[in-house]
Amino acid sequence: MPLGSTLAPKVLASKTLTSWITPVAHWYANLAGYRKYGLKYDDLIIEEYEDVQRALNRLTPREQYDRAFRMKRASHASVLHNVLPKEQWTKPEEDVRFLTPHVQEVEKEDKERAMWDTVYVSRK
Amino acid sequence: MLVARASSRTVQRVARNFATVVDSAGVKVAAVDTNQPTTSVTFLVKAGSRFESKPGVAHGLKNFAFKGTAKRSALGTVRESEIYGGVLSASLSREHLALTAEFLRGDEKYFVDVLTSFVTSAKFARHEYNEYVAPVMQTEVEESKFNPGFQAIEAAHAVAFHNGLGSSLLSSPHNSITHEDILSFARSTFTRDNIAVLGTGIDQATLSTLVEQSLSKMSATSQISSPASSYFGGETRLQAHGGPQTVFTGFGSAGVPSPEVAALAAFLSTTPAVKWSQGTSPIAAALPTGTAVEVVYLPYSDASLFGLLVQGPTGSAVKEAGNAAVQALKTATNGLKGDDLKKALAKAKFAAASAVDSRAGLVSVLGSKVLSGHESSIDSTLASFDKVTESGFAKATSTLLKNKPVFVAVGDVATLPYVDDLGL
Repeated sequence: MPLGSTLAPKVLASKTLTSWITPVAHWYANLAGYRKYGLKYDDLIIEEYEDVQRALNRLTPREQYDRAFRMKRASHASVLHNVLPKEQWTKPEEDVRFLTPHVQEVEKEDKERAMWDTVYVSRK
Repeated sequence: MLVARASSRTVQRVARNFATVVDSAGVKVAAVDTNQPTTSVTFLVKAGSRFESKPGVAHGLKNFAFKGTAKRSALGTVRESEIYGGVLSASLSREHLALTAEFLRGDEKYFVDVLTSFVTSAKFARHEYNEYVAPVMQTEVEESKFNPGFQAIEAAHAVAFHNGLGSSLLSSPHNSITHEDILSFARSTFTRDNIAVLGTGIDQATLSTLVEQSLSKMSATSQISSPASSYFGGETRLQAHGGPQTVFTGFGSAGVPSPEVAALAAFLSTTPAVKWSQGTSPIAAALPTGTAVEVVYLPYSDASLFGLLVQGPTGSAVKEAGNAAVQALKTATNGLKGDDLKKALAKAKFAAASAVDSRAGLVSVLGSKVLSGHESSIDSTLASFDKVTESGFAKATSTLLKNKPVFVAVGDVATLPYVDDLGL
């Protein structure tokens, strides 16, 4: 399960909860520090899973290239023991989930395959 | 005599049994039920390679058949069809795309739904194209490289008709097709006017109701069209190795296919009536051993291509066989005498009538008629053979030979003959 469990859909369903939690979420995302290395949240998904590998193949060539670029830039910054210059930090509006929908779709397909593999058929 | 009469009566009965085309919700539906144990339903779409907006999209669309739709995923379609014990298939010709489901009687509700949901709500997802469709397209293209006969016929179409009917059934090996190209092609062809539904082993009313329910929401934009075919002719030589040396030489003509040319093809055909015999074809006797000549006659809605596909182990053998075949062709076009013409017409008639016996043949023969709104029987085709006269035959076939020939050589182009080596 590369994505793990999340309460986000439940929070987003309620207007009040969303307005309370959104500032905390932004504070947390900035505190996590990945934005200072020019990464997006979805770059942190552990990719050593078959599902994620299949999802990565479904990115457009442009998305794949950009992801590889961000990784390289971040590892270089890590070698230098410093964060990137501020103008290269990921802006909150750029931090979109580009990989998660693909991973979810692959997981859905796996679930469907498991369902068909174990389905019990009866004639009506 | 009695046997002959009985068989011709059966043919006519089958033809009449085939229900008249009924427009249900704007879709043309025709069905015939001869009490066979299984049912087949074919959606015949005007989405052949002649209508494609970009080279190869028709090939892509064929391979996208039965992939994910709004109702079920590609895997779901396959598994559920297996549970019902049905077979789904898609086949592409130059004019039509046939989506076929064959299944046991009683399961029509599910399988018609599979077909209609593909036609109305297929997703054409990018990852499906990359993961499932494109590799199969690539394999089919690779496979065709080892079939010189197929290559020769493809090249012959390109030389004979340039665009339209000339466009290849397969995409090119280095194509730039995307899922979006296929999606936009599907949007333009999957409309009510471009689809005919043909059923065998199913009641016309049942099929009409099922189709009506699901296709009534479909858009009814006008029929897709391509420019009228015109015939050019010419020569091309393709280097290939591994397969037999192959030469295709023939003549095409624009306009409605004529029964005279079908009779000529039947007369020359080297397929014997009795297995393992030489047959009475004028070509068969003169062929050197190891070579084969196949008479190719491909009628389309507004053009036809007639030719001889010569294959042999070496270039010189192909040249010898080709010369013999062309000689026989020239003799035949000077006119056939009494019995020869009768034999040719009987063979052509039998070929036309027996094609309707098989499901695939039925779809290809009657499908185009149903799509264009004509009566769905082969009575008129059979009747047209009765009108062929000796003088009419000689005139039609010699006019055909006055056209510029199509000549394709596939294989070792250094040793294969040129068009004038065959006396054309």
